[in-house]
Parts: sequence; structure tokens; C-alpha cells
Amino acid sequence: MAAGTTTAGERQRRLELRALLNKKYKWIDRKWDLVFWITAIFVVGGAADITKQLFAGDWDFWTDWKDPQWWPVITAFATIIIPSALQYIQWVAWRFPTGATYTAVCFFMCAWVGRYFQWHVAESYPLSFVWPISIVGAAIILDWILLKTRSFILTSLFGGPIWALLVWAFNYVPLAAYLQPAHFMNHVLTVADVQGIVYIRSQTPEYLRHIERGALRSFLGETQYVSLVFGGTVAVAGYWIGQFIGRYLAVWPIRRYIKTL
Amino acid sequence: MTKKRRLTWIAVLAIAAFIAPSKAFAHGEAGDEPFLKDLTTAFYDVSISPKAIHVGEPVTITGTVRILDTWPYTLDPPQTAYITPVVPGPVFALEDRVINGQPAPGSFFVERGGVYQFKMVMVGREPGRWHVHPGIAVQGTGTLVGPGEWVDVQPAVAKFTFPVTLLNGKVIDLEGYQSSFVWWWSFAGFLIGVAWMLYWTLSKRTVTNLAVTTQIGINEDAPDIGLITPRDQMWMNVLAGLTIALLILGWFYAATRYPVRLPQQTDWFAPRPLEPDLKLAEVRPEGATWNDGTDTLVMKVQAKNVSDSPITLKEYVMGMTTFVNGGPDAQAQAGPHEYVGQLEVEPNGPIAPGETKELTLRIANPILSEERLIPTRDPQQFIAGLLRFEKAGGGEQFAVVRINVIPTQFKAQYIPGL
Repeated sequence: MAAGTTTAGERQRRLELRALLNKKYKWIDRKWDLVFWITAIFVVGGAADITKQLFAGDWDFWTDWKDPQWWPVITAFATIIIPSALQYIQWVAWRFPTGATYTAVCFFMCAWVGRYFQWHVAESYPLSFVWPISIVGAAIILDWILLKTRSFILTSLFGGPIWALLVWAFNYVPLAAYLQPAHFMNHVLTVADVQGIVYIRSQTPEYLRHIERGALRSFLGETQYVSLVFGGTVAVAGYWIGQFIGRYLAVWPIRRYIKTL
Repeated sequence: MTKKRRLTWIAVLAIAAFIAPSKAFAHGEAGDEPFLKDLTTAFYDVSISPKAIHVGEPVTITGTVRILDTWPYTLDPPQTAYITPVVPGPVFALEDRVINGQPAPGSFFVERGGVYQFKMVMVGREPGRWHVHPGIAVQGTGTLVGPGEWVDVQPAVAKFTFPVTLLNGKVIDLEGYQSSFVWWWSFAGFLIGVAWMLYWTLSKRTVTNLAVTTQIGINEDAPDIGLITPRDQMWMNVLAGLTIALLILGWFYAATRYPVRLPQQTDWFAPRPLEPDLKLAEVRPEGATWNDGTDTLVMKVQAKNVSDSPITLKEYVMGMTTFVNGGPDAQAQAGPHEYVGQLEVEPNGPIAPGETKELTLRIANPILSEERLIPTRDPQQFIAGLLRFEKAGGGEQFAVVRINVIPTQFKAQYIPGL
């Protein structure tokens, strides 16, 4: 009898929640959403771009840095942090599996505007040399994993390695053209190497490139796949750094503030 | 100020901020501390020509840089280096680089006392008046800049192209190669992301969702309440599937169109050493003075001719500057004119075989101050450079001289470092 009452009570409560969900508000309905989603583009895109620049700046800037060994590791770690933070915020607050995709879309716009105006127009580097990576494809799948698992732990365990794989895979498609071998200065170089030589970077000498120099030969030469596995592992760590930001630097202070009202 | 006028000012300032700092013209070499320029390397016989070209035409930089034995112990030892044109961004495109007769696309190994003759050919890419230097970047130290020259690049009728031959024989234009594919590929992914976002933001509201999510568990998607419905799940499956389909399509395209791909290449090498200098003179430094008010450096050295022919002191090379014991013709041949000056030698003239002479070298030139070549307020009051001796009948020696500098007059300095 008690269980039946509880079930009935619970059913009633959920009906009330359903009504609450569909309640119409006069002032803070669609207008608020419009203002929020648009203004947050700059904050979220900026945060994602700055985080990426801090950890993986040059790897994302030049085609001749996008190597098989370091690029998949560093980029996976650097780019998952803010998507993870936003994923936590948007899931907890609104049950939207959109945090990673929203970050990726904002990041895409900020990165392309920056590359086009700062590096192509003002500094005249060809976009084919300085194009930014895109994380949108990986972000969609990360959000999809959260949608299916409804668990941040499972999303980190499955999503981290998949993130590393997909960030690399989506950006390897446009990179492939620049990995073709060319004959230049009496050497065999990739087109990306040739770009790095031809388009002069006086203060970024070639030896500064952190790229594969033949140090992982013990894995049958499959540096790429060893790096992807390692990249997947560090992406899990990056995911939890993002969770920390989302939980303790965003949601927790807001909750604390609201309680004081 | 009216609102209209204020808005006009903001617009003007925004436009000015965008347009005004479009290009940097100097390379900050004067900002480097004197020891970074004097004790590390010396550039000589530098030539940058022609000084006026059209877009697409070549400019050749030749010269020699020597890693001095006086390399400061405060820096990492020189091991890896990269010789590069120092220009304001890719206003030129580098076409060729040779070091000691060997093609040098990348970095190379260096050592104290090493001498590296370089030749770089670059073609004009952006119209403008550009200051062009050779430079040597040394790992752990940074880019050390040689003497520079202004080069005028006029627009050309034809569009700039940079053909590169692939190993399969196909010739591509490096300018913008595949950039449209990069953009459209990224944009296609972006569109799916936008569709994902529009689905959630147009069909649901944040305010009402928040009112519900605060009352249920974090792992609940609550389809019965309507937070995430089976319809939402279905459309997200479609978009995720579309994303994976796009990736498979892209990989198929890349794999079939570019079947041969290499990792980025890193071919570092040790350049073949040049013929060693003749042994013509033994030089003992005896001190130098620096008059900060008149920009005058006076050095005293003892030079002994140890060869079998008379020798003459022709030049003193320090950092990116060369001071010539000769007339305007000799100075014109010594390098870019802004970095070449007069060297007065007393007593001037040949030193006979076996003879030892006390030489006084006097340089009065504002470039010593302008390029901050003399350390007057630094922890180490030393300079170093190369004395170029020539032998009658041919042959030369560059003798390294490291000498301590005693200032005889200081310019007033009210704020340390300025």
C-alpha cells in the first residue's frame, strides 16, 4: 500500500515536472535563450581557443608541425578540456547533450576568423599553411556518447580515446594532401615541409618543431597508432580537468551564490 | 560629445587599429643585449641583391657567418642552428638555401669556430619596401641577425605562383594549394554541428529545463517528463551517423587521391668544413675604450706577422657590422652600407714577416650605439670580433679578438636600462 502511494506520488510529481517543463514565461523565455547562446559564443570560443593555444599552439598553426607522434597526443589533450567543462554545465543545467558541440562550433568560428584576418590578411600566410583544426566531428560523437550513457565516467572512458581518434582522423583528411612527397632543394620532403621552408618564419626556426624524429622505431614503425593510444589516455585526463572546471569553477560558485539569495 | 559623434570616433579608432599596425618593419636586433651580438657570431661578406624587384623575381642573399670561439658561457653551447632570411613575415618566398655548398632545407649542426657560407634565394611575394637580413637561429639562444638591406618589391602583372614538383612528377602551385578543400571539409563538419545545436536550442528552452533538472537525478534523461525524448534520440543518431559517414567518405577520398604520404622530414646535417684560414698573425688584445658621447671605440692590439709575406689589417667585423680599413669602394664591397663603417688603423700599412706591431684601431660610428653593440651597463664589459688580415699575393685570416672595454664617458641614464 505504501509502495503504491509512493508510486502514485512519484507519478504525480513527474506530471508536475512535465507541466513545469512546458510552462510559458513572458520575459525570460526565447529572448533569454537567444541572448545567452549568442553572447556565449565569444566567451566559449575564446576559452577553447586560448586553451588550445596554451597547450598546442604551434601544432595547430602549421601543417609542418602536424606530425604522427606529437600532434595526436598534444591536440587531443588540449582540445577536450573546454568541451568537457561545457558538457558538464549544459547537461547538469538543462540536460542538453550539447556542451562539446557548442564549444566546437564556437571554436570553429573564432579560429577561422583569427586565422583569416590575423594570419592570412594581415600577415599574408596562405590559409593552406595555417588552417586551424576542426573538432566539430569529435565533439558531436562525444555529446552522443553522453546522451547514450548519461554518465560522465563512461563518457570519459569511452569518449576520451574516441575523441583522440576522431580529432586526428577528421583533420588527417585535409592534411593528407600536404603529406605527399615532393622534390625540393634536392631532398624528398613533404608538401608541408616545403610550406614551412618557403613561407618564412624568421623567429620559428625549423629545429623548434616538436615532431617525430625517428625515436619510436621499436613499435614496427607505427608511431601514429602508439601516439593515438597515448593521446586517448591523456584525453581522458583532459576530460576530467574540464570536468573540474565545469564543476568547481562554474557550477559550484553559481549554486553557492544562488543559495545566498 | 553627442552619441553620433562618439560612435563615429569608435568606428574610426576600430578601423585605425585594424589598418595601422599591418606590418612590422624592424626586427628588434637593437633590443638584443650587446653580448648576444658581439660574443656569439660575426657576419661578413654579406650581399643582398638586387635591391629592387617585382613580385615573383629573385633576391639572393650571400655571406658568411662564423660561430666565435668567444661564445658566452652564459648561453647553451651552440649545437643546432638554422640559417634564415629575417624578413617581416612571408613577404618573400624562400626558393633555395645552400650552406657550405650543400642544399640545406632544414637545420644543421654547428660548433664553436665553425664557418658557414650561405646562399639563399627568395622571390618577392608581397609588394612593399622590406628590410631583409640574413640570420642564424641557434638552439637555446634565438635568432642572431646579420646586416640588412632595404629591398623594394613592386607589384607584378601576373599573379604570384610557386610551383613545386611532387615526387610523382605532378607540379602543384604551393600558393593556396588545397586550401578550398580544407575550408569546405571543415565547413561540412561545422554544418552538422550547427544542425545539432539548432535542434536543441530551437526545440527546447534553458529556463524551463533548469527548473526541472534541479529536481531530478543527474543521470536521468527523463523521457516521460520530456527532457530528452525518443525523437531526440532518433535525430541525434541520425546526426552522429552523418558525422561518421562524412568521415568515411573523407578518408576514402584522401586515401585514393593521395595514396603515398610521408611523415614530415627532418634531415639535419653537419656541413662540410671549409678550407681552414691561413695562419698569418698572432693577435694579443691590450684593451679598449669607449666614448659614449662621441660613439667612438678605440682598441689596442698587438699583432705579430707569423707568415712569410707582409700582411695588412683590412677589416674589423663585430656582430652584424664591418669596419673597413679602406676607401669608399672597399666599404661598398664589404656589405650592406648601413652596417659598414670606417676603421682607422694607426700605424697603417703592412706588417713585415716576423714583425710585431702595436696597432690602435679607431671606430667612430653611431651604429655602435644604434645597434647596441658596446656593453656599457652590462654584467660583462667585453666585446669580441674578427680582425681580417690579408697577405700580399693572396690569402687571409680572421683572427678572433676578445677585448675588455673601459668606458671613458657615459651618457646620462636616469632610469636603469633606458
